[in-house]
Amino acid sequence: MVQSLYIRALGLAVSVGYAVLIAWLYVHQPQSVSEVTGGLAANIGAYQIDQQAFDEGLRLFRSGQFSAARAAFDRADAAHRDATTQFYIAYSWYREGWGRIYNDDQMFTLGLAAANRAIALSPHGILRVEDADLGMRTADELRAELEAGLRRDVSDLNPMRVFRQRK
Amino acid sequence: MNDAREAFYLPLLFLTVVLLGGMRIFDRIVLLPPSLFSLVLGLLLLGVLVRCGALGPELLMNSGRPAIANLNGFVVLLTMFLAGAQAFSLATPDTGLPNLLFSVFFLVLLLNTLAASPDRVRVLRSLMVIFGSAFILKFIVLAALSDPEGGRLRRVLLALLEGVTLGTLTQPLAHPAAGYVAFFTLIMFLTGLALLPKRVTSSQLSVLSSDQLTTTNSQLRTEN
Repeated sequence: MVQSLYIRALGLAVSVGYAVLIAWLYVHQPQSVSEVTGGLAANIGAYQIDQQAFDEGLRLFRSGQFSAARAAFDRADAAHRDATTQFYIAYSWYREGWGRIYNDDQMFTLGLAAANRAIALSPHGILRVEDADLGMRTADELRAELEAGLRRDVSDLNPMRVFRQRK
Repeated sequence: MNDAREAFYLPLLFLTVVLLGGMRIFDRIVLLPPSLFSLVLGLLLLGVLVRCGALGPELLMNSGRPAIANLNGFVVLLTMFLAGAQAFSLATPDTGLPNLLFSVFFLVLLLNTLAASPDRVRVLRSLMVIFGSAFILKFIVLAALSDPEGGRLRRVLLALLEGVTLGTLTQPLAHPAAGYVAFFTLIMFLTGLALLPKRVTSSQLSVLSSDQLTTTNSQLRTEN
C-alpha cells in the first residue's frame, strides 16, 4: 500500500515535471540542444557565457571583422540567453549592413531579430551597454535605428543621406 | 490497472506524443500547439473511446479511490486528450484544400464511429486505419506531390490536380525526418490507447460473477 503510494506520487511528480518541460519548449522554441540546456540553466539563474570567446568577439568587433566577431559571440552565448552578447551581435549586423547609399536589408533584419532578443532577455526590457566605441549605448536606440533602416519612405530619396554617419 | 502503468507509462507516453505531435521539421524546428479543431477532434475521440469501452474513466477516477490515485487518473485522461488532439494535428496537412478535406474526413469518421458504437477491439482497429491512411496520404502521397525535385509524372499529376484544386494542393516542403518522427509518434499514440484501462460492461460483470460463483462452489465441494 505504501509502495503503491510512493509509485503514484513519484509518477505524478515526474509527469508534472515533464509537462512543464514540454510547455517551456513550446514557449521558447529552442533550435539546438545548447539552447535547451542554456535556457533551462538561465531559468534557474545558472547560465554563464564563455567569457574568453566573448572577449575575442569584442576584439574582432572593434577591429571591424564583424562576421568573425559574430562567430565568436555565438560561441560565447550558444544558447542565445545573454542580453549583452545579443546586443553586440545586433550591433555587428548593423555596422556590417550599414551603407552610405543604401543599407543591406537582410543584415538589418537579422540585426533587428538579435536586438529584439537582447531586449527580451534584459530585466524590464532595458539594456544599456557602457562602451565608448559605440554610437548607440542602449538596445532601444539600436532597435529604432535598425527599424528606421528597414523602413521605406520619402527620406530615402534625400541626397543629403550620403553625409550621414554610421553610429 | 497496474500502478506504474497509470502513474508513469501512460502519462509519459501521451506527453511524448504531445511533444512530438506538435513538432514540424522544416529548415528549423517549430513546435505548434494543437489547433482549436484538433482539440474538438481530441474531445470527440475521448467520447468515442468511452462509448466503445476502450476507456473506462470510472476506473481512473472515482470516489472510492485515494486522492493521489484520482490525480493520476486525471493526468492520464488529460494527457490522453491532449495527445489525441496533437495526433490529429500531426496527421492533418498544414495548409490548403488537403487541410480542409482531412479535417472533415476525421470529423465524419469520428461521428460515424460514435454512432456505430463498435466494441473496443474494433474501435482500436478503426483508429489504426484512420491514422494509418492519413499518414500515408500526408507524408507519402502529398509529400511526393509537393517535392520540387520530383519526376515528369509528378509534374503531370501536379499540373492536373493543381488546376482542379486552384493551386491549394502542395504543402510546405518538410524535412525527410518529419515522416519518421510522425510515424513513431502515431505508433506511440496507438500503443497508449491500447494500454488504457478498458471499461467493464454489465454483461461482463454478470459473466464474472457467475464464474466466481462456480469457482466458489467447486472450492466448497473440494473442502467437503
